[in-house]
Amino acid sequence: MSSVPAPSWSKLTRRAHLYLALFLTPWVLLYALSTLVMNHKARPATPPSWELVSQRTYNGIFPPSAKAKEIAAQLLISLELDGAHRVTQTSDGLIQIQRQAATAPLRITFTPATFDLKIERQLVSTTAWLETMHRRRGFQHPYLLDDAWAFSVDLFIAGVLFWSLSGLWLWWELKSTRILGAVVLAAGIGLFTYFLRVL
Amino acid sequence: MINRRTHLYLALFLLPWFLLYGISSIPFSHGQYFEELDKAKKLPLYTKVEERLNYAMPPTEDLKAFGDQIVKDTNLSGNYGAYRQGPNRIDVYIYTFWQSMQVKCFLDERRILVEKRRFRWDHFLTGMHAKGGFEQGGVSDAWAVLVDLTSVGMLLWVLTGLIMWWRIPSTRKWGWVALAAGFLTFALFIARL
Repeated sequence: MSSVPAPSWSKLTRRAHLYLALFLTPWVLLYALSTLVMNHKARPATPPSWELVSQRTYNGIFPPSAKAKEIAAQLLISLELDGAHRVTQTSDGLIQIQRQAATAPLRITFTPATFDLKIERQLVSTTAWLETMHRRRGFQHPYLLDDAWAFSVDLFIAGVLFWSLSGLWLWWELKSTRILGAVVLAAGIGLFTYFLRVL
Repeated sequence: MINRRTHLYLALFLLPWFLLYGISSIPFSHGQYFEELDKAKKLPLYTKVEERLNYAMPPTEDLKAFGDQIVKDTNLSGNYGAYRQGPNRIDVYIYTFWQSMQVKCFLDERRILVEKRRFRWDHFLTGMHAKGGFEQGGVSDAWAVLVDLTSVGMLLWVLTGLIMWWRIPSTRKWGWVALAAGFLTFALFIARL
């Protein structure tokens, strides 16, 4: 009976470097393309365009002295649109809910005085979508799906750190590349240090 | 050979930027934690540096020119931008990697207040992370070129990485599983988020 030799540390590192990269390929593409877009964005940015989805009178009732946040939460549940959102209230009382969504973000405007309810959909360009997804992160929303996305972002961060360290290890194993690699690495660190000093 | 070397040397040159974006994403992703940590110190974020009364306010129609004049008059240096906060208030933010200042301009009172922001490591990292664009000129534009180069580098790592993977037949099966799982997970997020 022949025994299978245990994989070496080097091989394990190579495989982890490779498979993690393959799994996280969509995130790498997202962050690379969105960074290019954001780096060349016209400033000040053009405000997003919205199209009207529906406008009607809301026929629910709210608890007395309900705050904007509570009104927004109730509205989203009754519209079957519950999910990650931000709420603002204008000085004239309008409650505006920005319902985040990867493909079609919504803006819901509620007028407490008349119970008028307007739902608009953002017309999302590819560049705006890339920027929105780039900025989407964190565990601040009480929704499992958003936490799962935030976890995937954390996994990507762990991936970046792991690729950096394992990449250094893999480079050092290739003896023929050590000298030129050290020169290139030093050049990068030198340029980065220069920017740190002057910017 | 060229493929492997491109992957390797590009990574070595861009390593500081790649590490920067990796490490600085932590305070972005866990902003609330860092805010709580700082709040516990009970220190003000901004401290007053200087106040000028009867200040001859520059014209306010062009915010860029307004910012130029304020930065010149206050002898501050760094990248800056002027932002209207209300009918009688414009704030000018001056930023370097190591220091941030703000000049609050109270137009009707003809008063300016210069404040310095306390250094915080998380802000230092997120500030570097967010720096980009070609509006400021000079060395800032050179930094923006490196931001572009890092992005292009990431795209090239994907391309050269895929080629390297395909050339190792023993990894193809599990590679397909990892790649498909990644795209499927990502697609589910996009559809449901």
